[in-house]
Amino acid sequence: MRTSKWREPIFALLFLILAALLIGLLSLAFRPVRVDYGAVWGPYLAEPRDSLDYLYLGSSYAYCDVDPVEIYDETGLTGYVLAGPEQTLSQTYWYLREAFKTQKPSLAVLEGSALAFQQYQSYTQVNVGYMPAGLNQLGAIFTASEPELRTGLLFPLYFYHSRWKELTVSEAADALLPSETDTLKGFTPVNGVFAQIADGPFTRAPQPEEVYDENLVWLAKIADLCEKHGIPLALVFHPTYSQLPADTRERIAADAAELGISFFDWTEESQSIGITPTLHYYDPGHLNQEGAAIFSAWLGNFLTDELGLSPRAQTAENASAWKWTVQERHMVPD
Amino acid sequence: MSFLSPGFFLFFPVVTLVWFLLPAASRRLWLLCASWWFLLCGGPEHLLSLLAATVVTYLGARLLDRYSGRQRKAILAVLLVLLFGTLFLLKYLTFSLNLLERLLTAAGLAFSSPALDLILPAGLSFYLFMAAGYLIDVYRRDRPAEKSYLDLALFLSCFPYLLSGPIGRAGSLLPQFRKPAPFCWENLRRGLLRFLWGAFKKLVIADRLGLMVSTVYAAPDSFGRLQVAAAAIAFSIQIYCDFSAYSDMALGCAEVMGFHLMENFRTPYFSRSIGEFWRRWHISLSSWFRDYLYIPLGGSRKGRRRKYLNVLIVFAVSGLWHGAALSFVVWGLLNGIYQVIGGMTQKARDRIRRRLGLADDAPFTIVLQVVITFLLSTVAWVFFKGGSFTHSLSIFGAMLIGPWLTRPFSAWGLDLPELVVVALAVLLLLAVDLFSVLRGSPRQTFFSLSRPVRWVLALALLLSVLIFGVYGTGYDPQDFIYFKF
Repeated sequence: MRTSKWREPIFALLFLILAALLIGLLSLAFRPVRVDYGAVWGPYLAEPRDSLDYLYLGSSYAYCDVDPVEIYDETGLTGYVLAGPEQTLSQTYWYLREAFKTQKPSLAVLEGSALAFQQYQSYTQVNVGYMPAGLNQLGAIFTASEPELRTGLLFPLYFYHSRWKELTVSEAADALLPSETDTLKGFTPVNGVFAQIADGPFTRAPQPEEVYDENLVWLAKIADLCEKHGIPLALVFHPTYSQLPADTRERIAADAAELGISFFDWTEESQSIGITPTLHYYDPGHLNQEGAAIFSAWLGNFLTDELGLSPRAQTAENASAWKWTVQERHMVPD
Repeated sequence: MSFLSPGFFLFFPVVTLVWFLLPAASRRLWLLCASWWFLLCGGPEHLLSLLAATVVTYLGARLLDRYSGRQRKAILAVLLVLLFGTLFLLKYLTFSLNLLERLLTAAGLAFSSPALDLILPAGLSFYLFMAAGYLIDVYRRDRPAEKSYLDLALFLSCFPYLLSGPIGRAGSLLPQFRKPAPFCWENLRRGLLRFLWGAFKKLVIADRLGLMVSTVYAAPDSFGRLQVAAAAIAFSIQIYCDFSAYSDMALGCAEVMGFHLMENFRTPYFSRSIGEFWRRWHISLSSWFRDYLYIPLGGSRKGRRRKYLNVLIVFAVSGLWHGAALSFVVWGLLNGIYQVIGGMTQKARDRIRRRLGLADDAPFTIVLQVVITFLLSTVAWVFFKGGSFTHSLSIFGAMLIGPWLTRPFSAWGLDLPELVVVALAVLLLLAVDLFSVLRGSPRQTFFSLSRPVRWVLALALLLSVLIFGVYGTGYDPQDFIYFKF
């Protein structure tokens, strides 16, 4: 009798679990595999546990300008750029929470252009949608995502099911199989030179007061989180030709100081870093690959010399993987 | 809130779970509150209209119960004027004023109809018809006036059928509310399967065909004859899948909660005549018109001419019920005319069949009749979908004049893979409908299969809805054709 009482609920539960598993697999299979332009979580999670010296977060300025392989080549520091396109500070907060599950870097660097972002920018679907499923993603969905996107973020087939016409078996397999470490380490090289760069620098308009205040709230949360994990946080502005006004940057410096965050403003440091605007800007905001190499080498030295970062001990296997990555990066194509 | 909106997938399990957990005395109140919330999600104006209708219906029925004779008749007349007057005001006033303007302008008189911006409350046509049917039942003393406002309000408001029917009857629903069925796994399985099948028809077939129909009907002149004809046939399938899908989902939800609603569709495209088609299509509305309009008008009891007139009246009103436009009236009248001509030529057609040696129930006769009925209803649907009488005529014109094919597949609104998917889905629908005609309930057969087979089939259906369904960013879950009525 007891068996018959539980029989139906157990089968119902089993059916639900099976359906949920299949839907989960389909959701993974239908979502395009992401290897560059930020929100590259798969290869990040494949990095050996606690093997990264620094973690770099922020927007496209971070993943276009910072090449961890160049930094490693220059200094031996291992790192990863866990940025996303137009990633807001609220999203960065959830990224950090998730990222700290597998890594305890010696430094977290936050590229700060998001302080001039609106509450929601244009790439929530990518930034939040590609986070590993779990409580942090749920947090990002309900606090850092537009309400109208939440259905698709909770249920990815909502966004991607119509790809059934284009999905190939190999693409689905790539999406379903566990990721391996990659050679970009979150960096996205872009090539070309912005033709009108000589007209710059260009000024970016800051956000209204209430938006900035909201961003500061998230910055404070990020600082608290880093402090809780015992990881120093550095807020930086990259050398760029798309510049926030000087008084805005001064105010940010003051606010960062109040929050106890180290702040470094390299907005107007292109020349001293070795960047030639007419050669090294892909567009007013982003460095091209050559510019990124120059900036990253400089950045590596800054991290070691100014911030006192030193490479941590790596397993032989991981050290050799990084070295191989450097060789591959510097390999001259046929 | 629609059955396919994300919110419903949270709303329904919670409402159902609490429904079964609550003691019997509180269940109806819970369901009423949930149903009102369901409507409130669309805006407070929708709920206000329903609340007014329930109050009028409740008090009106109690009044009817107290009086007899002429007073009783007068009260009923006032109540019906109130209900249908509201319907007229909100749904037909703009149309009537525009019509008046056109008539007066044609007569050389200047009249400009005012631009009215009236909101049509969701489900109005459905619950007002339920209310009117209930009041007439009370007037006829077919049933007593409901003493409990809660029960009466629940009868008019219950969320599974609130927005698009089936148009329920008090005699069938009120006893079910008073004595709710206990939770039953069988009902849960059967209801969810029915809901899923409805979602398949709506998302995989109806909404995909809708892309093609909308594309072709928007510019019929730029498509070939075959394409326009194909779009007309596609709309016949689309509207069946769209509306029967809603009914399936409504009946499925109700079944999970232990209610049995009136079946609204019985494979109508397998009908052998237009008369039979209307006995199998939107059954709850057709039977409402039969019981509360056709029979009171005299039905077939007052001679053949009067019967035909009654049929035409009923179908003209039915057309108007579907929408405030002349094209809907034409669509309704055309269905009535089909039946009048059918009745008038019945003997002649029987004679021709006998001369050709075709038995009444021979497979060839049946197939021929089914095909002719389908084509006749397809012709009528052109007026339904056309939007205006003149545009409908231009669609017919495009079927008759011009090249056979003009554009590649991709310009139809559907590319080749989508056409293949929709063709396979329609074949599956045809197989299921054919099975139900020839072998009985497909659901019954489904549940007689072994558990692993059932699971594979159910999961396959679920995944095909999730993969091949038309939904996602930009999709409007409110976009059920019959929501507009």
